Amino acid sequence: MTYTIKILSHGQRIRARGTEVLADKILQAGIPLSLYCNKRGLCGKCFVEIVKGRRPLLGEKERFWLGQKNLGKNYRLACQYEINGDLEINVPALFISPEVPILPAIARSAVAPDPAVKKYYLELRRPDISSPHSLFEILLENLGYKHLKVPLDVLGELGRKLEVGKFKATVVVYREKEIIAVEPGNTTDQNFGLAVDIGTTTLVVDLVDLNTGRTLATRAALNSQVKRGADVISRISYASADPNNAAELRRLVLETLNEKIREILSRNRVSSASVYDIVVSGNTTMNHLLLGIPVETLAVAPYHAVFSRLSPLSALQAGFAIYPRGKVYLAPNIRSFVGGDIASGLLASRLSSKRGNFLFIDLGTNGEIVLKAGSKLVATSTAAGPAFEGMNISCGMPALAGAIYKAEDNGAIKTFTLGNKPGRGVCGTGLIDLIAIFLGRGWISPRGAIQGEKKIIRVNEDIALTQEDVRQIQLACAAIKTGIRMMLKENHLSEDDLDGIYIAGAFGNYLNIRNSMKIGLLPRIDERKLVFIGNSSLAGAKLLLISAEKREKIESLIRKIRYVSLAADPEFQDYFIKALEFKTWP
Amino acid sequence: MTKENLFERMVQAVVEGQKEETENLAKEAVKRRMNLLEVIEKGFVPGLQKVGELWEKGEYFLPELITSAECMKAATAVLQPELKKARIDAPSKGKVVIGTVEGDIHDIGKNLVASMLQANGFDVYDLGADVKLEKFIDKAEETKVHFICLSALLTTAMLGQRKFIEMLKAKNLSGTFKVLVGGAPVNQKWAADIGADGYAENALAAVKLASRLMAKWRYQEAKDEK
Repeated sequence: MTYTIKILSHGQRIRARGTEVLADKILQAGIPLSLYCNKRGLCGKCFVEIVKGRRPLLGEKERFWLGQKNLGKNYRLACQYEINGDLEINVPALFISPEVPILPAIARSAVAPDPAVKKYYLELRRPDISSPHSLFEILLENLGYKHLKVPLDVLGELGRKLEVGKFKATVVVYREKEIIAVEPGNTTDQNFGLAVDIGTTTLVVDLVDLNTGRTLATRAALNSQVKRGADVISRISYASADPNNAAELRRLVLETLNEKIREILSRNRVSSASVYDIVVSGNTTMNHLLLGIPVETLAVAPYHAVFSRLSPLSALQAGFAIYPRGKVYLAPNIRSFVGGDIASGLLASRLSSKRGNFLFIDLGTNGEIVLKAGSKLVATSTAAGPAFEGMNISCGMPALAGAIYKAEDNGAIKTFTLGNKPGRGVCGTGLIDLIAIFLGRGWISPRGAIQGEKKIIRVNEDIALTQEDVRQIQLACAAIKTGIRMMLKENHLSEDDLDGIYIAGAFGNYLNIRNSMKIGLLPRIDERKLVFIGNSSLAGAKLLLISAEKREKIESLIRKIRYVSLAADPEFQDYFIKALEFKTWP
Repeated sequence: MTKENLFERMVQAVVEGQKEETENLAKEAVKRRMNLLEVIEKGFVPGLQKVGELWEKGEYFLPELITSAECMKAATAVLQPELKKARIDAPSKGKVVIGTVEGDIHDIGKNLVASMLQANGFDVYDLGADVKLEKFIDKAEETKVHFICLSALLTTAMLGQRKFIEMLKAKNLSGTFKVLVGGAPVNQKWAADIGADGYAENALAAVKLASRLMAKWRYQEAKDEK
């Protein structure tokens, strides 16, 4: 039986079969509905108005959200709605994923350019009858190499390319080993590369001038895989369920990346055929999905990956729309849940060359923690859950325009929203501020109970924090706190022994240090020792792009890192339960 | 101190999570040669119930739940040997095999459910984490339990829950045990989809669910006997 669904808000009409889920049909119609919890009915972010048609009984959570969000009783969660009749619906703008996310701050890097791709301009003598040397031999001799690899198609084009440039040509050499292109004339002033950060939520592409090391432009987009699950585990489940799903995830991320690459290149008048190098930095799951490598084992004990480090791939093989023989280098993964993004971040922070004890923390759904204890490097990951991304929080939202990212209490509570848009919800940093303020006011007990009978705290007319929200934040904080504590303990250090803490991740500079210490998310140390390094994954990718020797450095760095599995530690539960209380260290 | 006073203090000790006090009160009850089943029924169980109420109100969270479960454990450790000595069988609320399914090593949630079930008088066989599906069946058959509780934190491990129910069917054991599922990514719909007998959102809901199903089960048995 097929039914008709009219999406009044978007002037669309679609067909659906019985028992199909409404959220799927809306997505298929090209409307990017927010589905942060992978259609599990947990996040309350996909309400649609049922104007005409069946309205099933409200679930307990649905009823609560409707009240909280001031929605009429005609609204239902699209992800929980099974179609069994004709429908007329409205999809409110509030529940559609915004297109372009706000960029996190990017750490600066100063390094002398020494890229993997080098261009050499040659003015060659034509072969003559007295010494008819081969073209390739002439090329090698002029380059000063005894031998270089060359792909057959480049060789095949060699004669024509030289003719076009009247024997003046630019040779593109990869890592002093392989000729990957020959361009007529002198093009040495045009050597471009792309640094790509593949986050579970956000993708960022930097166009870099490899002659100067400067970033020419940056583009960001939501990782379109988000509609198949917000976190890596959901994506792994989705990909593992069917080979077609895995292929779909690969296609989704490549489509978005290539679209952004096209945009950034055309805006900067760079031809895609003259981009020869890409460095990708992403977590282990993202890296596997990007290359279409199976991810099943990543989410099943003992949680191993298929690969950690790879030799550079050809752009064609990897699926990037640049010069097909261009190269794609992936920042190496440390372990299954501590990926190339963290390796890049460590590189960018220059942590390993510093003296003393340092913590590197990437705050996100998966909190990655690296401790440098003297000369040792230890890494772990801790499942903070999506609360810091504003998911699983009734009033939560990611750090997008309209999110309350900061709050202050000067007698009255003042909130600040991103993009100065009217507040639509609260993102991770805003939640941390609010909790600290409410604790300070005695509205929440250190054990997390909201005082009074109502168990709800209003921030303004539309936004309120519930008891369940506070519990979710407690769990997220406790996960990070437990990770830090256990790492310190394992290395016989206390927070007083730390010479510094680096905070990476999308939280960026928005994270209020004092409030983070107040609720116990971060250890209490001298504030000056805390450094925000923003999107250090991208910064590291840029370093790897500009300076090829960093690739050897990062690969030897990751081999030195020892991985500690928290959940396997018998003391984990005890630490975790103790960490649930909101209080400053120790 | 009257009996009622003592019960009141027991309730309070469990609610406030005072382990030593709970233990001492249990010892006091033994010393006074009180009816220990009554002590459990009127002193400790109401304490636990009160904890449940506070949890539901949002007042209590995991740490409070754990300390009160520890109090119950301490009290049981004192009372159980005495009951045994007197050859009194404390009525079991039901028998449970519990574990986190294979491929998943996360067990805090499962541990909580196990302790709350135990605190509420269930006999609990905890198989730990990353448990092979066959092992659940083996243990359940060996110990003749009523419930098999499967926990999964990773969405990937949820598939193990489904596989388990299919396995039970294939072995013609579907009616023999009731299968309860839980874990952060699990919900009622999933439980219904895979044909589980029940789902609980948290440890206390699990106790309620198991108690309710147990009552139904016993009623059915009584009816069948007639």
